[in-house]
Amino acid sequence: MRYPRIIDDGSVWIVIVPPLIWALHFLAAYWIAAVWCAREAGSLTPAAWSIIVLTILALVAISLIGRVAAVRYGGFTRPGRESAGDTQADRRQFLGHVALLLCVLNAAAVMMTAIPSVMFGRC
Amino acid sequence: MAAWQPPAGWRRISAVNNSLIGKWYLLTAFAFFGFAGVLALLIRTQLAVPDNDFLSMRFYNQVFTLHGTAMMFLFAIPIFEAVAILILPEMLGARDLPFPRLSAFGFWCFAIGGVFVCGSILFDAAPDGGWFMYPPLSSDPGQTGIGTDIWLLGLSFIEVASIAAAIELIVGVLKCRPPGMRINLMPLYCWYVLVVAGMILFAFPPLIAGDLLLEMERAFGWAFFDADRGGDPLLWQHLFWIFGHPEVYIIFLPSIALIATMLPALSRAPVVGHSWVVLSAIGVAFLSFGLWVHHMFTTGLPDISLGFFSAASEAVAIPTGIQIFCLLATLLVGRAKLSVPLLFAGGALAVFVFGGLTGVMVAVVPFDYQAHDSYFVVAHLHYTLIGGMLFPVFAAVCYWYPFVTDRVLSERLGRWSFWLIFAGFNITFLPMHWTGILGMPRRVWTYAEEMGWHGLNLTSTIGSYILAAGIAVLAFDVLRPKGRQSPAPADPWGAPTLEWAREVPRRPWGIRSVPVISSRYPLWQQPGLANEVLRGEWFLSDSPDADREMIVTDILDARPMFVQRVPGPGFVTILAAASLGAVFILATFHLWLAAVLAGAVFLVATLRWLWTGAGGLPSAPTRDCGRGLVLPLYASGNGSVGWWAMFITMIGDSTAFAGLVFAYVFFWTLHGSFPPPGTAPPAAVTLWLGTALLAGSWGMLVAASAAMSRRVVALCCCALAPLPAGAGVAVLAGAAWSAGLDPTRHAYDATVWVLTLWIGAHVAGGIVMQLYSWARLLARHMDADHDAELRNTVLYWNFLIVQAAATFALIGLFPLVSGGVP
Repeated sequence: MRYPRIIDDGSVWIVIVPPLIWALHFLAAYWIAAVWCAREAGSLTPAAWSIIVLTILALVAISLIGRVAAVRYGGFTRPGRESAGDTQADRRQFLGHVALLLCVLNAAAVMMTAIPSVMFGRC
Repeated sequence: MAAWQPPAGWRRISAVNNSLIGKWYLLTAFAFFGFAGVLALLIRTQLAVPDNDFLSMRFYNQVFTLHGTAMMFLFAIPIFEAVAILILPEMLGARDLPFPRLSAFGFWCFAIGGVFVCGSILFDAAPDGGWFMYPPLSSDPGQTGIGTDIWLLGLSFIEVASIAAAIELIVGVLKCRPPGMRINLMPLYCWYVLVVAGMILFAFPPLIAGDLLLEMERAFGWAFFDADRGGDPLLWQHLFWIFGHPEVYIIFLPSIALIATMLPALSRAPVVGHSWVVLSAIGVAFLSFGLWVHHMFTTGLPDISLGFFSAASEAVAIPTGIQIFCLLATLLVGRAKLSVPLLFAGGALAVFVFGGLTGVMVAVVPFDYQAHDSYFVVAHLHYTLIGGMLFPVFAAVCYWYPFVTDRVLSERLGRWSFWLIFAGFNITFLPMHWTGILGMPRRVWTYAEEMGWHGLNLTSTIGSYILAAGIAVLAFDVLRPKGRQSPAPADPWGAPTLEWAREVPRRPWGIRSVPVISSRYPLWQQPGLANEVLRGEWFLSDSPDADREMIVTDILDARPMFVQRVPGPGFVTILAAASLGAVFILATFHLWLAAVLAGAVFLVATLRWLWTGAGGLPSAPTRDCGRGLVLPLYASGNGSVGWWAMFITMIGDSTAFAGLVFAYVFFWTLHGSFPPPGTAPPAAVTLWLGTALLAGSWGMLVAASAAMSRRVVALCCCALAPLPAGAGVAVLAGAAWSAGLDPTRHAYDATVWVLTLWIGAHVAGGIVMQLYSWARLLARHMDADHDAELRNTVLYWNFLIVQAAATFALIGLFPLVSGGVP
């Protein structure tokens, strides 16, 4: 008998990817700024622009995942739905909902990470 | 079912049942808590009045260092493992965890390491550099004595126990759920265990890497943290806090999980927003890895870097708040009765929210500049840790006490202890916010009367004794004999989770029979289930071979896959833990030869443990589990629990490796030229040859796995694979050697050598595994259909090859593109 693998359709990868995008964006922003400040120590503008571009890319990626998650969940808001039934459809909806919520959280976190690069002119 | 009976008499220490190991783990962790609590009282007594000399300055340093160390490493983290080992299998309707001997091994490592670290204070040799052990103070053996080595090696040893528990718990949650418990029906506690065990896997290894670097500097003079030789003390702070901040959440999340598990039973209502709570657990887990620099706001990093970490520190408040609101909403919609566990849970939420809010304050960089290293931070961290961990754990003690002992705790003593603890705690720590704002730095031995801190300090000291009195009342209630009390009812709280479908008196086999689950709150929503379970009407109610057996299911939908045989009691795990402990302890005292001998004993013990485990060929291909469910008795590859354990172990291992890579890149960022001017990196061609030889060994192993149906070919491949592996390591070391790199000269040389050493040690382990597979094949414990050991070895080598290739890229190629020698 074959079992659905955790990377198959309807499974957990959409839960992991949004926070992973945040983590990669965060690390990239940190490294760009750290290396830039260690080497150049002058104006931050080029580093800030690359962080802003990365931020836009990260937000686009998160919204794409969010779309997949919303399809799994069956919409964006479905109050009262518990996804607590004993069916594969419930499991899909549940993971879709968790992923959708994580997309929102991580989009917010990515934007918060980007704020300092807009605010600071120098290291 | 007699197979599950633990041995009697003194041999009971060889038991591996989760019910016993969990209980011992819990009691040991609480013993260390009591010890560290006494140290806290000593600190408070010393600080009660100005210019006090109750403790000498030297002893005071040891006391506060050991207080922090023991509370964090010997209580707060292990208590998560202890509670999970104790209740998780039963909550999952499983007989035990998938690797009972690993749990036992972890427990013995923890106990031995803990006694070693704590015992040092009796010999005036305790660590005294503060619980985060910053160099250059800690890297200079002239300034900090043997205590620092005890800290580094003792705690590294204890981290082995934590990682062992993390592996065990992840596989337990993923693969040992009862049939039908799909991932959307899994109790919240299991989600938290999964998330936290995953965090341990990514948080602890950087500290192990840091410990390795710091100990190499202390013992052999390798240059990592010495600025004169190209090192940087800040590297330690990075590695420590990459561990240290997630660790706070590793402590907090499982305790919130306990509240989330108790609340439905105590308020008679399902948790509001199940998927929101799962979201916040996962969200906190990730975000918590982006906070580490907020412990380093005053180290002179660029402002913009501080900004990133400040932003992440504020962002983590969002998911944390969601959890708290979900729990409060559950309380509101339910019909809660103010029982003792609920009192503690309520106290937890109140105290934690207070600590969380001061956390948001210190996450703001300008405020942190003012409050850093003051008693304000001491107050903040105690509010988060005691509110986020101690109160929930006390709630859990009251709630699960009947589950563990078949007796109930006294309601009256419980209320007394709660109010004493709650009042004592606030009297102790609330004034510390002001003491900090008034400028009192943490860790000072004493202070002058003119500073004006004495009134607040005296209040704190009085509060700490009230707090201690409350804990003493609770401890008395837990430990007092209750022989004459009649047994508690099976499910005294009317709880919904499976662990309460239990037999009274408690039996050693976990659940009586393994049911099919079709709801989130099975004992509420599947009427009659508990009785069916207890009558043995469900799966695996007995074993014809008198083996210890459990059902393994798939990760997403918990469909039964096979029956796993698990090993019974054995002294071999104790021997393995004791000999590994001896390696670390002897190394502390630089008794290298004896440490190597102990290492050999550890190797033999581990091999014997594996050889005599339950992994051999089964007596029959399938097992009839009852109700017409027939399952295979063997699995290998990515269906088996062993493969997953190896996979998870190697993820953790790769994280430690990433810590070393971080060190290299950190130094590269720091220096204008890395390698430094005048130093030639090892020859890329030679490094390439060494890596290619390792790849050859890996290829032979893959060939052996593919050729299992032709036994002679597989045997030859396994037997010959160590040769290119050994040669590869020799070539890699030769490259560093012939480049004239001396690890005591410069951070570059030291980093290259430590990476080479890392790969060498892993290849040594890989060769042992190759030879082990060969021996298993030779002894006919493996054949074409039963090849779990070999496939696990291949998996190990997959990771090893990636690490070797990364090392080659970093040492061999990176200097060519990044401008090595100017």
